[in-house]
Amino acid sequence: MTTGEKSKGRFGTITKYLRKYRLYIILGAASVICTNALMLVTPYITKLVFDLLEKRAPTGEILGYVAIAFSLAVVAGVFRFMMRRTIIWMSRHIEYELRRELFDHLLALSPSFYHDNRTGDIMTRATSDIEAVRMMIGPGIMHIANTAISSVIAISFMVYLSPKLTLYAVAPLILFPIAVNRLGNKVHKAYVKIQESFSSLTAFAQENLAGVRVVRAYRQEEAESSAFDAMSRHYWSLNLEMARVQAVFIPTLGFLASLLTLVVFYFGGRDVLAGNITLGTMVAFMAYLAMLFWPLFALGWVVSLYQRGMASLERINSILHTTPLIQNNGDSPHEGRMKGDIQVRNLRFAYNERPILDGISVHIKPGQTVGLVGPTGSGKTTLISLLTRLYPVPRGTIFIDSVDINDWSLGSLRSQIGVAPQEPFLFSDTIAANIRFGKGMGGDEDIREVASVAALSKDVDSFPRGYDTIVGERGITLSGGQKQRAAIARAVLTDPAILILDDATSSVDTETEHEISERIKHVLAGRTAIVISHRISSVKDADMILYLEEGRIVESGSHDDLVALGGRYADLHRSQLLELELEKL
Amino acid sequence: MSTAQHHEDEALGKAYDSRLMRRLLKYVRPYKWIVVAATALLIAGAFLQISLTFLTQIGIDTYITKGKEQGFGLIALAFLGVAILRLTFSYGENLLTALLGQKVQHDIRMQIFRKMQSLPLSYYDKNPVGRMLTRVTNDVNVLNELFSAGVVTIIGDLVMLLLIVCALLYYSWQLALVTFIVLPLLIIATALFRKKVRETYRDIRTKLARLNAFMQEHLTGITLVQLFRQEKRTHDRFNDINQSLRDSNFRSVYYYAIFFPAAEIIGALSIGLLLYYGGGQIYAGHLTFGELVAFIHLVERFYGPIRDLAEKYNVLQSAMASSERVFELLDTPSEKAQIIETVARHEKFSGKIELEHVWFAYNGDNWVLRDVSFTVEPGQKVAIVGATGAGKSSLISLLYRFYDYQKGLIKLDGVDLKSLSTEKIRSHFALVLQDVYLFSGDLASNVRLRRSDISDAAVSNALERVGFDRFLLNMPGGISTIVKERGATLSTGQKQLLSFARALAFNPDILILDEATSSVDSETETMIQKALDTLLEKRTAIVIAHRLSTIEKADKIVVLHHGQVREIGTHSELLEKKGIYHTLYLMQYRKQAPARTVSESIAP
Repeated sequence: MTTGEKSKGRFGTITKYLRKYRLYIILGAASVICTNALMLVTPYITKLVFDLLEKRAPTGEILGYVAIAFSLAVVAGVFRFMMRRTIIWMSRHIEYELRRELFDHLLALSPSFYHDNRTGDIMTRATSDIEAVRMMIGPGIMHIANTAISSVIAISFMVYLSPKLTLYAVAPLILFPIAVNRLGNKVHKAYVKIQESFSSLTAFAQENLAGVRVVRAYRQEEAESSAFDAMSRHYWSLNLEMARVQAVFIPTLGFLASLLTLVVFYFGGRDVLAGNITLGTMVAFMAYLAMLFWPLFALGWVVSLYQRGMASLERINSILHTTPLIQNNGDSPHEGRMKGDIQVRNLRFAYNERPILDGISVHIKPGQTVGLVGPTGSGKTTLISLLTRLYPVPRGTIFIDSVDINDWSLGSLRSQIGVAPQEPFLFSDTIAANIRFGKGMGGDEDIREVASVAALSKDVDSFPRGYDTIVGERGITLSGGQKQRAAIARAVLTDPAILILDDATSSVDTETEHEISERIKHVLAGRTAIVISHRISSVKDADMILYLEEGRIVESGSHDDLVALGGRYADLHRSQLLELELEKL
Repeated sequence: MSTAQHHEDEALGKAYDSRLMRRLLKYVRPYKWIVVAATALLIAGAFLQISLTFLTQIGIDTYITKGKEQGFGLIALAFLGVAILRLTFSYGENLLTALLGQKVQHDIRMQIFRKMQSLPLSYYDKNPVGRMLTRVTNDVNVLNELFSAGVVTIIGDLVMLLLIVCALLYYSWQLALVTFIVLPLLIIATALFRKKVRETYRDIRTKLARLNAFMQEHLTGITLVQLFRQEKRTHDRFNDINQSLRDSNFRSVYYYAIFFPAAEIIGALSIGLLLYYGGGQIYAGHLTFGELVAFIHLVERFYGPIRDLAEKYNVLQSAMASSERVFELLDTPSEKAQIIETVARHEKFSGKIELEHVWFAYNGDNWVLRDVSFTVEPGQKVAIVGATGAGKSSLISLLYRFYDYQKGLIKLDGVDLKSLSTEKIRSHFALVLQDVYLFSGDLASNVRLRRSDISDAAVSNALERVGFDRFLLNMPGGISTIVKERGATLSTGQKQLLSFARALAFNPDILILDEATSSVDSETETMIQKALDTLLEKRTAIVIAHRLSTIEKADKIVVLHHGQVREIGTHSELLEKKGIYHTLYLMQYRKQAPARTVSESIAP
C-alpha cells in the first residue's frame, strides 16, 4: 500500500473489470452495511432484555423484544447472503474473464515467448496467480468492507453505551491490527523462506530422480539421501520457526481478547456496582467487544491477501504486457488465393545471436516439389518455420507470389500453407478431431480420404472405436509413426497451396513410407511441396533437391544430378544403400 | 498448488480407512509423548477456557448483582491468571503439534526418498518423474496437515464440545434442553452444507483439472494452433470449460452464502430462546443473571468446534488418498531386495568380464539380447559396435545390474554377477553416458558428486587430465563455477569432458563408456580423443564406440546385430571379413574421420 502510484498502474488490468461489475460492488457494499447494522442491534436488544429482567417486566414484553431480535437476525442473514452473492460472485466472474483474457493473449504470443518461458511457469500464472488475484478482489474486498463498517457501527454503539468503557477497551484495540500486521509480515517472510526451501527440496528430488542412472552408477544413493535429509531438516526447522511465530500469534490475540474482556468486566462491573450503568449495558458492551475481535483479526489476513494478490497481478501483467512479436503488417495485409511461388533471396537468420541461416537463395515455382536434406542443425526446420512466419522474417528476403511474406495477412498465409511437423503433436481428442483440427469441419468421407493418403486408414480401422478413438493420455497411445501419419492427414485436409512435410515420415517404416509417397502424388499435383527428410527415398523424385549444411545450400539439383556430382548427397545416398544391405544380413 | 498436481487424478475416496490409518499412526509412535503432552495441554486449555466463563458468572452473581465490591478485584485477578495460563498452554500445544507434524513429515519424506534410491530402474521406466516427485512433495505435505492439524485438534474439539455440554447441564438442565432443541437444526444444516460443498468441491476439482489439462496441452501445442489458425476455435473450447468451471464456482459461492447466514440465524434463534426461557427461570428464582450470561457465552462457543470438525473431514479425506499413493510406492519391492549376496568381498579386482549365452528382454519375450557371449580380459579395451537398436545400451545396463538378464551367466572375475551386491559391482565401474547428466551445483561437485574423499586437488587434477583446464582459465570461479540448469552454459564438448573427469576422479577398475554421437567441431574432437586416451589408459574398458579412433585402438571389437553377437575380432580382421562390420564401417565410421580423405579409406 506504500506504493500507491505504482499500484494504480499495476491495477490497470482489473480496473476495467471492477468498473464493469460496479453494480455488484455497490450492492455488495450496501449489503455489508445493512448486515452489520442489523447484526449489531442484537447486543443492544440483549441489553434492553436484561434491563427489563432486572425491572421484573412481564415475560410477554421480553418475548416481543426477543422476536424483534430474531427477525432482525433473519433480515441480516438475507443481507449476509446478498453480500457473498454479489462480491464473491463478482470475484468469480472476474477470475473467469481474466483467465480468458490471459489465455487469449497466450494464443497470440509467438513461439519465441514459449522458448523463453517454461510452460510450467505460464501455467502457474494462469492458475495460482489468478486465484491470488481473485482472493484479493473477492474475500479481500468483502472482509475489508466488513471490518470497516462493523468497527464503525460497533464503536458508535459502545460510545453511546459508555464513553468511559469505550476509552478503556477500544484504545488498546488499536494495537490489534498493528500486532496482526507485524506478526503477519513475520509469518509472510517465514512463509516465503519456506516456499524457497520447498522449491529447492523439490528441485533436488527432481534432479535426483531424473539423474537416476548417474546416481546409481556412481553409488551416490546414500550420499544423496543424506544431502536430502539435510535439506529436509532445514525445511523442517524453517517450518518450526514459522510455527513458533504462529503459536504465539493466535493465542496472543486470544489473550488480548480475554484481557480486554477483563478490562470491561472489571471497570464495567464497578460501574454497575456504582450504579452508573446497568448490568444489561455491561453485557451488551461485552458482546460488542466480542464482535470487534474477529474483523480486527481478519484485517491482518486481508493485508496479506492484498500483498500476495498484487504480486500475482504483477506476474500476470508481465504476460499481458508482452506484445506478440509477429502480427499483421499494417491495416490491409495481402490476402487472396496463393499460387505457391516461393522466392528466397539471400536469407540470413540468427536466433539468440546464433546464426542459423547464412544466405539462402532459391526460387520454387508453383507446383514444384522440393526436397531438403542435410545434417541435423543445418537449418532445414528453421527455413520452413520462416515460411509460416513463426519467427520474424527480415524484409525483402522471402516472397510468396512475389509479395513480401511480411505483407501477407497472417491468417491468409498460414491457412494456405499446410505443415506436417517433425514431432507431431496430437491433442487428447479423437483421431477424427485431430485430423479435422486445421479445418474445424470436414465430413467423415474427407477424413477417411486423407487418412488413406497418409496410409493411416488401415490402422484406424483396426481400433475398436475407429476414428472416434481418443488418443493420448486418456486413450490409445499411438506409435510415433501413427502420429506422424495423422499429422500428414491433418495437413493434407486443409487443402493447402503449399504443403510442407518436415521429416514427417521419420518414424514410419520404409514400406509404409513408400505407400505414402505413392498416394500423396495425386495430392501434390498442382501444389507446391517442400519435403524435408533424412531418407533419400522420400526426396529422390523431387523436382529439385537442396542439400543444406551450416545454414547454406551446398548442393542443389535433381537426384541424378547430385548422385553424379559425387558430393555429400551422393555420400548419403551410398550409406543408405549400405544400410539397406545391412538390414538384410 | 503446483503444476504437478494438475495431472494427478484428484480421486477422493473414503474419509477413513482403518488399515491406512493404523499404518499412518505407526509414524506417530516414536513421538507418542509429544502427542500425549499436546493432548494434555489441549484438554487443560479447554478447561481453562470454560473456567473463564465460570469466573464471569461468579463475578456477576456474587459481586455485581449483589452490590458487593469487596473481593471483586480478586475475581478479576483470577481471570487474568487463567487467561495467562491459557495463553501458555495454547502456545505449548500449538508448538508441539507443529513439531509432531514436522517430525512425522520428515520421517515419511525420507522414507520415500530412500525408497526411490533403491527402486529398480524398471520402476522409473514406468513412472514419469513428475508423478514420483508428487509423492515426496505434495503427498507428504497433505499428510503433514493430518498430523499437525488433524489428530490432536480433533480430540481437542471433541473435548471442548463435551465440556460445554457438561457446563450447560450443570447450570440448568432445563435451559440446556432448550439449547439442545436448536442443536439438531444446526447439525442438519451443517451436514447438508458439507454434503453439497463436497459435491461441488469434487465437481470444481474435476473441471479445474480439465481446464488445466486443456491449457497445458494447447500451450505445448501452441505452434500447431497458430499454424493451423485455430486460435478462435481453441479460445471457444477453452471458454466452454472456463465457463462451466465458473458456474460450478457460482454454485459453491451459493452454498456458502446460504450456510453462513443460516448458521447465524440458528444461533440467533437459540439466544432468543435462552433469553426468553432464561428470563422466566430468573423470575422463578432457578437461575441467576450471571448464569444466564455464562449460558449465552457457552452457546456461542458451541458452533466453532462443530464447524471445525466438518472441516477436518476434508483433511482426513485427502490424507487417506495421499497415504494410499505413498504406501503403494513404499510397498514396491526395491532393487536390493532381490539380491542375496553370497560371495565375500575380494580385495583386488582384476577386471575380467565373461558373458555366457546371455538372454535379456525388458518385457515378455521381446528379446533385446540373444545368446550373447564374449570375454573381456583384464586390461583389454573392447569396443561394441552395431546399428541403432542392436542392443548395445541394454548390454551395458546388464553389467550394471540396472536390469537383470533372464538366461545365461555374467561373471566378474569368475564370480556370478547375480551373487554380488549392486553396491559391490558398481564400485568397480565408472559409467560415462551418451547424454551427460549434470547436477546443479558447481563444476567440482559435478566431478566428485558427493564423495568428500575426492579433494579439490583431485578434482582439479582430473579436470586437467581431460584438458578441461583451458576452459577454467576463462571461468573466474574456477572449479567453483556454477553449473546452471543441466549445464546450459556449457558446450557439448565441455559437458563431455566434464563427464570424463568425473569417471577419472572415481578411478574405477573398469570403465564403461557410451560415446556420444553428437557431432562436435574438429578442435573439440581432438580434445575429446586425447581425453579418451587418458581415460582408457591402463584400464579395462567396454566402449560403445562411435569414433573411428576408438575402434581402431580397441583390442577387440564385438559386433552386435539385432541382439546377437555376429562378429568378434580386431579392426583389421573384421574389415577383411567383409561382413557386417565392414558395412557398418563404410556407413558410420569412415565418413566420421575428417582427417582422412574418402579415397584413403578402404573402398568396397
